[in-house]
Amino acid sequence: MGRKLLLEHINVPGINTFEVYRQKGGYASVEKALKKMTPDEVVEEVKKSGLRGRGGAGFPTGMKWSFLAKPEGVARYLVCNGDESEPGTFKDRFLMTYIPHLLIEGMITSSYALGANTSYIYVRGEMMPQIRILEKAIAEAKANGFLGKNILGTGYDLELYVQPGGGAYICGEETALLESLEGKRGNPRIKPPFPAIAGLYGCPTVVNNVESIAAVVPIINDGGEEYAKLGIGRSTGTKLISAGGNLVKPGVYEIDLGLPVEEFLYSDEYCGGIANGKRLKAVVAGGSSVPILPANLFLKTINGEGRLMSYESLSDGGFVSGSMMGSGGFIAFDEDQCIVRNTWNFARFYHHESCGQCSPCREGTGWMEKVLHRLENGHGSMSDMDLLVDVAKKIEGNTICPLGDAAAWPVASAIRHFRDEFEWHVTHASEAVTRNYGLAHYADPLPKPEPKPEATA
Amino acid sequence: MKVTIDGISVEVPDGTSILNAARVIGGDVVPPAMCYYSKLAGSGGKCRTCLVKVSKGSEKDPRPMPKLVASCRTTAMDGMEVQNMTSPEVIEARKGVVEMLLINHPLDCPVCDQAGECDLQNLGFEHGAAKTRYEFDRRTFNRIDIGDKIQLHMTRCILCYRCVFTADQITDHRIHGILNRGDHSEISTYIQAAVDNDFSGNVIDVCPVGALTDKTFRFKNRVWFTKPVEAHRDCDHEKCKGEVTLWYKGDDVLRVTARKDQYGEVEDFICNTCRFDKKKTADWVIEGPRKVSNHSVISSNHYDTMKPLPVVKANPVLQEANKEQFERETRL
Repeated sequence: MGRKLLLEHINVPGINTFEVYRQKGGYASVEKALKKMTPDEVVEEVKKSGLRGRGGAGFPTGMKWSFLAKPEGVARYLVCNGDESEPGTFKDRFLMTYIPHLLIEGMITSSYALGANTSYIYVRGEMMPQIRILEKAIAEAKANGFLGKNILGTGYDLELYVQPGGGAYICGEETALLESLEGKRGNPRIKPPFPAIAGLYGCPTVVNNVESIAAVVPIINDGGEEYAKLGIGRSTGTKLISAGGNLVKPGVYEIDLGLPVEEFLYSDEYCGGIANGKRLKAVVAGGSSVPILPANLFLKTINGEGRLMSYESLSDGGFVSGSMMGSGGFIAFDEDQCIVRNTWNFARFYHHESCGQCSPCREGTGWMEKVLHRLENGHGSMSDMDLLVDVAKKIEGNTICPLGDAAAWPVASAIRHFRDEFEWHVTHASEAVTRNYGLAHYADPLPKPEPKPEATA
Repeated sequence: MKVTIDGISVEVPDGTSILNAARVIGGDVVPPAMCYYSKLAGSGGKCRTCLVKVSKGSEKDPRPMPKLVASCRTTAMDGMEVQNMTSPEVIEARKGVVEMLLINHPLDCPVCDQAGECDLQNLGFEHGAAKTRYEFDRRTFNRIDIGDKIQLHMTRCILCYRCVFTADQITDHRIHGILNRGDHSEISTYIQAAVDNDFSGNVIDVCPVGALTDKTFRFKNRVWFTKPVEAHRDCDHEKCKGEVTLWYKGDDVLRVTARKDQYGEVEDFICNTCRFDKKKTADWVIEGPRKVSNHSVISSNHYDTMKPLPVVKANPVLQEANKEQFERETRL
């Protein structure tokens, strides 16, 4: 059983209130950081921990903090990205709902490290209950002297605000989030300049995911080196995984990075296997935007090694046979799920959420959605698969923000791995609307990797 | 600062974008731009037609950039090496972008008022594919009048945001922007408010396609049947210089526009009085014919002589050969 850092006290009744949270050792990191450490030491501690951004890209948090420009006389901001809207990901909502003070505590410590006196938590508009919970938690923290002027008598001032968004997926992209926070239309900005140089109101800004900020709390409490002992290789610490789909026990789990995927999927401590005794067909490992993998490639890498839940192992094989850790939205599909329908559903989502600023994403997502809809309903043709791959290729990398990539990857990977299912939708068009393709060979053991031909002299 | 684009080096001042450096060189190395407009701050980066490959970042950091970059919003660095026409990757990506731009754009140039001076038409001709692979309905909108002089037809819009920047920066208060999201987003005025401003007519000039058109000229004539003439008048608006292009058909001034350079950008924004109200030759001081580049359809059929040009040049050998051929053919 792995050690819990974020969700240690999640089952304590009343942990969402200040008193209980404080009794359980809450706000210790604020006391430690503000009273005993300088801001630079806090940043150094986070750097040592090797914490990687939990929002999807996996960029080291300490590195991001050290890039923050610090010109004299200009305000700096910390913005927490609570605009969690990736299909399949619901870990931040869980955290904000049940243990809001962990986020508040992390925000205070992180703001201190960055020298920010005003910080924002940007929460998606649909999460109104969570917004109320956070505002209540902020009021409690303020009443107890952890927010406001002269926190704990150290002379450090911090105001924390919760900002509801409008509910657009694109506002989870950091520059679009900043635009939205400024009260404008949530269009991603063209980078450079990066937010670390000119972010919110043109000031240096750090944007971090909810879970990254919460993870700062155990890092400061136990020390960065202690945190780095958990996990494997460059994937340090623990990660919240929101498991969904056809599982016996879907839910949010905190895992040590480096847990074997088989254990995560089948052990009773975590997901407990596939629901209703069915077999696993495919897995989306990190939220809808990462490449989808068939069961055999998910459980084992192309070289026949068992896959682990870590940034490196999940991306082993690149885009040919790997996926990504992403934001931890783990979706399992059993043998009765239709990959074509699922791909269409994802494409529909990205079509709906594209901001419409740059042309490849605006037009390409709609095009892919229409072609997939045609395929799913039995009106497709064999050339559609190549068309989709080509359209995906023309979107990928040519857009302002990563939404274009996120829209292209699931489509490209679904066709790469499930091409025969797509073809079956064309050749058996009438059958495809009444039944599913089934498991086919997607869980078959992988062929042995061919030994490398020996170099001939 | 030295930048090399497609093997041609050029000296540019610090802070110049790659696109502007390419424009200093001129010719084929200039990437096409549908949304970038040098006179509007913040424009560019959206249409992605100006993507280029940076094969060497700078003298200090020679690593190539991992992705294609939008040349209009990427600052050139000292020693940077850029590939535009010489990179197959760029040509391929640009072809893809043109295809995307044309997905929801009606392919009815013969009945479009912008035909002949449309940036998208030129772009499609130069960089696009001959056939479309898109087999679905295109999005359509009804035509809207924004003010009594400007008509908006969103069906043709490619969402370059130029008119939004114009309304924001040239006019004194902005009542016009983008509604909705994705491929159903549309240019609109705030609750159908009429655009009523001294400089609002400039949105027509900045529009690269036929989405915003001049109602006083709409469908009066094809642009290649009219003759552009440079003229000026003493405009009493303090921000307007009164330097315009008049478009003549016979003796009538059919429309007035600002003077556009070779990249389709206006030299000076003009006021609505000059644009919409002064349509008599007597209002203007004529300077002379407007130079239009050879490859533009506007320059065809213009300033011709009353006699047809001689078919055979004054070369006795050719004349003799021609006469022989003529005789042979009449005999047969």
